[in-house]
Amino acid sequence: MRQAKTHSGILSGGGISKRYGPHLLPLARIKKIMKKSSVDVKMISGEAPLVFSKACELFIEELTKRSWNMTIQGKRRIIHKEDVACAVANTDIFDFLVELVHPNASSHVDLNEGPSKETTQG
Amino acid sequence: MGDEQDKLLPVANVGRIMKRVLPPNAKISKEAKETIQECASEFISFVTGEASDKCQKENRKTVNGDDICWALGSLGFDDYSQAIARYLHKHREFERERASAKIAASNQNNIVHESNG
Repeated sequence: MRQAKTHSGILSGGGISKRYGPHLLPLARIKKIMKKSSVDVKMISGEAPLVFSKACELFIEELTKRSWNMTIQGKRRIIHKEDVACAVANTDIFDFLVELVHPNASSHVDLNEGPSKETTQG
Repeated sequence: MGDEQDKLLPVANVGRIMKRVLPPNAKISKEAKETIQECASEFISFVTGEASDKCQKENRKTVNGDDICWALGSLGFDDYSQAIARYLHKHREFERERASAKIAASNQNNIVHESNG
């Protein structure tokens, strides 16, 4: 326990963004998901799940913000699954999620009525 | 049932990350949270697949942090790739410092033991 405090003391002065010590996402679970992704994934370095914990935070944050934009456009305060689907459809780099959020959709379904709003990613 | 949950990140953790970027008055439906939970797993699989392909082409068996960083850039997640590169750099620096501190501490112990005879 004392060691953990010492580490966080060092780290908080180190200028590293966000809390480094306690991860927001469980590394063991991330590793499991990585292994299940493909039979070709044989060995995973110790830092790979750590890297993904950060990447997933960024991903979840971005998808949430974009979904929320859809929600407020509909003048609502509760994010629904449809808002997530719209956010995915509007974001090129989220193309890989189209089937997941909208299983009945064919590849290029325009979920926006009227003039398309080009969302530049990045 | 347990097996299904193994393929997903815990919904409570996902929810906490979501709340960080939302205003206090925002609410998230259970379905939306679960959808984003599934999307996160799909994201991990997608990027891992790309990183793994690279390792195969280069005859390497271990997927490492640099491979993930590269895969993110390759798949269009340029911002994430840059952020992760910085994160990885700091992590490796921290690990190096921790390793040096351990060595220094154990050397100190050795000196103490020797002087105690």
